[in-house]
Amino acid sequence: MSTGITPDRDRLAAEYVLGVLEGEERREAERLAENDREFQVAVAQWQARLAEVDETASPEPASEALWQSIAADLGEQASPEPTQASAPAAVPGPHTAVLALWRSLRFWRGAGLVGAFASLLLALGVGMLATRAVREPVLIAVLLTNENRPAAVVNAFADGTAELIPLEGLEIPPGRALEVWAIPGANQSPISVGVVSQRRSLRLNLDRVPGLRPDQVIAISVEPPQGSPTGQPTGPVIIKGNTSTAL
Amino acid sequence: MTAVLGQEPSSAPDLQDALRRVARGDRLAVRVIYDAEAPRMLGVAMRLLRRRALAEEAVHDTFVQIWLKAASFDPSRGQARTWLYAILRNRALNILRDESRTDLVDDFGPMDLKAPGDDAETTVMRLSDSGALKRCLERLDPVRRRAILLAYVEGLSHGELAGRLDVPLGTAKSWIRRALLVLKECMA
Repeated sequence: MSTGITPDRDRLAAEYVLGVLEGEERREAERLAENDREFQVAVAQWQARLAEVDETASPEPASEALWQSIAADLGEQASPEPTQASAPAAVPGPHTAVLALWRSLRFWRGAGLVGAFASLLLALGVGMLATRAVREPVLIAVLLTNENRPAAVVNAFADGTAELIPLEGLEIPPGRALEVWAIPGANQSPISVGVVSQRRSLRLNLDRVPGLRPDQVIAISVEPPQGSPTGQPTGPVIIKGNTSTAL
Repeated sequence: MTAVLGQEPSSAPDLQDALRRVARGDRLAVRVIYDAEAPRMLGVAMRLLRRRALAEEAVHDTFVQIWLKAASFDPSRGQARTWLYAILRNRALNILRDESRTDLVDDFGPMDLKAPGDDAETTVMRLSDSGALKRCLERLDPVRRRAILLAYVEGLSHGELAGRLDVPLGTAKSWIRRALLVLKECMA
């Protein structure tokens, strides 16, 4: 398959896959890998070219303990109810995200945990105030600054949507953005659920989160305008809070 | 990669099918992938990270990502196994590069005491004779072949390669660059 990618970009993709990049070049490649379709194709081609080298590694015994630690972090969900095989599993994009959400919702409903897992996709935009009036969140997190001043509220609804509402105490440093993170559990890496650069309500993107639960940590860090280049918080966490069940 | 997949014993699970099941929330399918691939993944991660605890961490995080991201796997863009190992390599390289971790730094001494048999030429020998990669790697000048394999297998950066091969940084970069061009053309 040929691509219209420039030789320089293709080289960057190759070196990214090879793993030799450092510093700014590496961050640039990570950005492109996240957003640039042509670059993603080039990366996939280089991965395919070099993948056979991974097969030369000597297998190491994989312990049951390691599996248990993985299983514990797949969320507390029980095995899902069987679903029909018709859903296309592939094409990434909003469509897939919606499907994943839908599956996840069914999955949690099946597990009888609807209320606890009001998670996933998020709605909320400027025009949703009317909706908000008739919807009651099942989970709420009040996020506090380091001086314990309320700076934002996260509402999660039973339909699997969630929103972040900034309060007066929320400060966004000039030229920076704030990135919202959900921390799935103890000792787990934060998962980005949204980036805010203005003080207005944000619909959170929960499709990478196994589910919001009571007493889950939500944190906000200061990041570059496009969000963290590494997928993990790179700036200081300035605001955080825990989710609680709304009564 | 088609050739590689074709060499699998018929008892090997269909990873693409397993990923489809994971995308539907099937935890048992995660276990299927774990049983099939975790040992090799640990081996790959050990070559990159040297320490068992770090390798296990990389594999752990990889499976959590597989669980979360299975729906984004696109079979039209590559093999399931390649996708799985790309996540693993990415995670391991992040541990190697981004995280200033004393547990890595402390280990620089023992890192040099690597098994002598596990060098670049051994890696080439282990590649399948029928695959294009081996044939194409053998076309490279030995020192450039070694640079490519040290980078991919041990996760050395441009700078670390220059140190290991005792050449200026610019030389290491240009070896890698030219070797990649040869590989791309050869494997087209």
